[in-house]
Amino acid sequence: MLDLIIETILLVLLIGTGIAALKMKDLLASVVLFGAFSFFAMLLYLIVGAPDVAFTEAVIGVVSTVFFIAALNKLKRGAR
Amino acid sequence: MNRGFGSIVLDTSFRVLVPFTLVYGIYVLVHGEYSPGGGFQAGALLAVGVVLARLVQGREAAFNIKGTTALIVAGIGTFIYGAIGFSTILFGGKFLEYGKLPFKVHDPAELHALGMLGIEIGVTICVMATIVGILDALTRGEDLS
Repeated sequence: MLDLIIETILLVLLIGTGIAALKMKDLLASVVLFGAFSFFAMLLYLIVGAPDVAFTEAVIGVVSTVFFIAALNKLKRGAR
Repeated sequence: MNRGFGSIVLDTSFRVLVPFTLVYGIYVLVHGEYSPGGGFQAGALLAVGVVLARLVQGREAAFNIKGTTALIVAGIGTFIYGAIGFSTILFGGKFLEYGKLPFKVHDPAELHALGMLGIEIGVTICVMATIVGILDALTRGEDLS
């Protein structure tokens, strides 16, 4: 029962951050929200019993955030 | 190299985070059979260590790897994978058939673990160098810090 509640909360947060990352006008805020999306996906993988996938997701979430910010820096940051 | 960089927060977090991340990457690599983790995750963790050093200290960081060097190192990692894979063919087995490796061990399972460790070292080196190379290509011509 507790598992179900936690899964529901995480799924709602996952969908919320995903939609917010898509709708956001500022690209930097979008990237940060995508990092939060990746974090909630990692927690969800952990809850449903896939620690290996969760580990990969955590590390790759950090690396992809750095990549996106580096690319934004090249785009003369703030471009809409 | 003994120059001041960043603020005291950046300095302290660099000294705490980067060595821990690198050592944890090595741990994930050699302990990957018994716990979550393996070659890809270990390589990504080592790359996160290098990227953190790069973010804090800029292009003259202590652990920085240049883009061209990263390409060569990624090739070396792939070569390790391929060399172990094809050496088992030379000793009369199939591709990646660890049982045919020419080491004297009393247990075939130990041979499997040894071969898998070699494969994962190759994967780790390749993944780490590739991530650092991508970051270098993305930040070419400017300083990220």
